[in-house]
Amino acid sequence: MRRVLRRRAVGRYALVVSVAAIFSLPVAWLLITSLKKQSEYAASPFVLFPAIPQWVNYQLAITMADFPKYGTNSLVLSSAYTILVVITSALVGFGFARHRGPGRDRLFLFVIATMMLPGLVLFVPQFVMFARLDLTNSYWPWVLWGLSASPYHIFLFRQFFAGFPRELEDAAEVDGAGPLRVFLQIFVPNAGPAIAASAIFAFLWVWGDYLYPILLLSDQNTTLAVKLAKALVDPRGNPLQTITMAGTVLYVLPLVIVFFAAQRYIVRGVVTTGLKG
Amino acid sequence: MSAAASTIAGPSARAVAWRRREVRRAFTFYAFLSPWLLGFALLTAVPLAVALLMSLTNYDGFNLDRASFVGLDNYARALMDPDAHHALQRTVILMAIVVPIGVAVQLGLALLLDQRLRFSGLFRTIFYLPHIIPVVGAAWVWKLFTDPNGGLLNALIGVFRPDTYVRWLVEYPTAVLAVLVIWAAAGGGMVIFLAGLQGIPAEYREAAMIDGANPWQVTRFITLPLLSPVIFFQLVVGVIATLQILQQPILLTPGITGISPGTVPQRDNYVFVGHAYTAIFVNHNFGYGAALLWILFALVLALTLVLFRTSRRWVFYGVEQ
Repeated sequence: MRRVLRRRAVGRYALVVSVAAIFSLPVAWLLITSLKKQSEYAASPFVLFPAIPQWVNYQLAITMADFPKYGTNSLVLSSAYTILVVITSALVGFGFARHRGPGRDRLFLFVIATMMLPGLVLFVPQFVMFARLDLTNSYWPWVLWGLSASPYHIFLFRQFFAGFPRELEDAAEVDGAGPLRVFLQIFVPNAGPAIAASAIFAFLWVWGDYLYPILLLSDQNTTLAVKLAKALVDPRGNPLQTITMAGTVLYVLPLVIVFFAAQRYIVRGVVTTGLKG
Repeated sequence: MSAAASTIAGPSARAVAWRRREVRRAFTFYAFLSPWLLGFALLTAVPLAVALLMSLTNYDGFNLDRASFVGLDNYARALMDPDAHHALQRTVILMAIVVPIGVAVQLGLALLLDQRLRFSGLFRTIFYLPHIIPVVGAAWVWKLFTDPNGGLLNALIGVFRPDTYVRWLVEYPTAVLAVLVIWAAAGGGMVIFLAGLQGIPAEYREAAMIDGANPWQVTRFITLPLLSPVIFFQLVVGVIATLQILQQPILLTPGITGISPGTVPQRDNYVFVGHAYTAIFVNHNFGYGAALLWILFALVLALTLVLFRTSRRWVFYGVEQ
């Protein structure tokens, strides 16, 4: 019996480890390539590991992809959207969870229904409207999206706030606190996990999005995602895969760090909403 | 009205106060909702009306004065358009690969981690990490891995079959796309399945074990039926997401330098939204593109409804937590 169990345990670990290897191998390959000399890339015979890790690739990527400029653009755009959408969605989610008014359930159904709409069905007419109002080539579309709250985030906050005990508000109302003060002084301070999850999803969405910046922004004010979707090239136009990969690592790294720092909240957020980061 | 009512029921100061409180409550409710109400009106309702109108015109995205109503011509055109047929076919093929395998992988990973396992936190992180990588990064990961010149995949196969030179993105683009999508979505689904597994009381499985069921039987006859609502949820989400896929096929276009707003996914990965995207942003055919997107929305709704219909047969809602 014990031998069977041990064999089973060994099999289990072998399976988990090999699946983990399959999952991480392509990412590891990207990291390894980012440290190669360009002459080691696609060399014959095949080069598995760089002879000397070329950390200089990272320095070159920062200059060639102009990280100070496009990284700042990405950071400003992502932060602006994140701050706005978290505030507005928390307010709306709180309204749905803790206040009552005519048509509440039907309105919430509309929130859910908009999640089912294909993104482009909304974006194409919005694009035409933004162009008419001369808002393309600016960050205004993201500001407007942030100001109008997002269904996913509303849903997340509603679920979260709905779980608070009723006595909290009652006590505060007896003390004469208005609804906004109840929200700010009682609910917000206790909403850390929901705020963290919402903020991370919002930030990930803008930082990772390629489509809207390439359609709405110009080469001057676009984001890192657009800049790094193309390979970096040498003066003669030959692609420099190694340096491009270094740039990609630098582009993804902040998200990975945030992920490690806030893993618990992300997981909880995914579970509440079934929402992709 | 209020005067008449007061003569019958008597003016109750309490009723008036109650009414006033109700109004104030409703006002507070709508005040909290105001960002969404405004946003819904201006950035959802109005655009949807615009999109519907647009799909009935030949609007080119620039000259409103040259646009004219063409009735349902755009929809008729979509039915006859061979490119639309091709795109729909590629999307359905992709969906048929990605959704079942994807959900199976998510479920498999969750079952794997739900056992007694050391370092399960570490493994969970490894499986989840691809889910965090933005689409531009994920496209590079797989472009590089499958690159015929500097990629690891051919080199690994080369260990068994020397001089392997497969141009994966040119010869098997849909396979690469499917792998990317499954790999990127695995972690998110896994976490949801893990939460579902934690919701199953341990006694159920223990009781089955005591009755002599082996681990496979426990999974098949206890765990899976109890997880079926989660499986169903993931299938629906997967279908909706795969039908709308766009960025990954564009970013996986072979060639390393050529991605711009005008880049169109290659023929095998020419998905339905890709066709709409091309119609609108490459050929400036906003009316036709809008019609294609409405057709897609109808398809998404129809497929979701079909899934809900079939779910009655196999989704088990017996245990309410």
